[in-house]
Amino acid sequence: MNTQTYALKLVFSNKMYLAISIPIAISMFILLSYISEFIFFEPYLTIYIPTAYIPSFITIVIVSILSSIVITMNIFKLKAFRGVTGITGSVIGVGAGACGCGPVGFSLISLLGTAGGTATAFLTNYELPLRLVSIAILLYAYYTTAKSFKSCSV
Amino acid sequence: MANRRFALIAMIVGAIGVIIGGYSIAVVSNTMLTNEANIIEETNIDTNQLIIQGIDVSKGSPLLGDKDAPITIIEFGDYQCPRCDQWYLNQRPILEDKFIDTNNVNLYFLDFPFLGSDSFIAAEATYCAEEQGKYWEYHGILYENQKGINSGWANKDNLIKFAEELGLDIESFKDCLDTGRYKDRVEYNKSIGLDNGVQRTPTFFIIDNIDNSVVKIVGAQPVEVFEKTINAMLK
Repeated sequence: MNTQTYALKLVFSNKMYLAISIPIAISMFILLSYISEFIFFEPYLTIYIPTAYIPSFITIVIVSILSSIVITMNIFKLKAFRGVTGITGSVIGVGAGACGCGPVGFSLISLLGTAGGTATAFLTNYELPLRLVSIAILLYAYYTTAKSFKSCSV
Repeated sequence: MANRRFALIAMIVGAIGVIIGGYSIAVVSNTMLTNEANIIEETNIDTNQLIIQGIDVSKGSPLLGDKDAPITIIEFGDYQCPRCDQWYLNQRPILEDKFIDTNNVNLYFLDFPFLGSDSFIAAEATYCAEEQGKYWEYHGILYENQKGINSGWANKDNLIKFAEELGLDIESFKDCLDTGRYKDRVEYNKSIGLDNGVQRTPTFFIIDNIDNSVVKIVGAQPVEVFEKTINAMLK
């Protein structure tokens, strides 16, 4: 059994960790979809993915699932008193595309003025590349976390 | 050491919780405030001052559609906002075909420039085009040529280029931009948006001119949401 599969089985064979990971994934997905304007709560609950934004939506799904796996594995790692990895990936994943025309961008610009405007423009213009970076970081975090599990078991 | 790590994880999980919780509270409170048809206020239309349901449109765009239409849509937008662009290109044509061209709906656009200085000057440019009777054509050419936020696509040189494409009198257009003639108008429209709780673009107010109810639609929502809202009002 390879290291990654071993780590996944080790963590998620315990139903408690499975129960932790599912709400994390769903919450991340709803949060990211809401701030990226794929889910609307009013006047009617609406899910709308414009064709041009399908790649962005797919990266949201991946970031949500990976974040949930990495966060849950890190919670599991507490038992072994190990450090936390992969949070940067989640933060970039949340930040990318979160600004733009939405309330996050508006608040950022209102609070920080020019600096907020620059950050908003950057996070919006580079939404997709940033999410891909986020996915890469999360994959690396998953890899290193899983590897540390293997060394613990020896 | 273990305690510090535990505290770090707790802080991160807590921070994520606060973000998610904050959004949930905002969403729930908004939903509670805007129950059923989201009727937010009921006042009369003041046609002389062009104040519709408390929203002053007198300094906004020219009216698109029939002035006697039973429903008015007031859109707040930013020319650099990608979602406004996406809505303009994909949803508005359907809305125009189904409701504006059939005299059921009319539309005002009010500027809500917040994404940078180019957003502001682009909004001013639309009123310079309006002087020559081409507001909506210029409005359209901006969205059709939108690129990255503050990437320079809406700088002064490009705004002049768009005016040339529309066959506007360039000297007059340049003079209008240089003098900042419509700076106050754009500022005023943005202040109207802020007064009415606009915090993102596009934001729409769908106003039933018969029973004076208002539905607020926030974000670049699909035309089906507008259809459902408008059809409910027309019944």
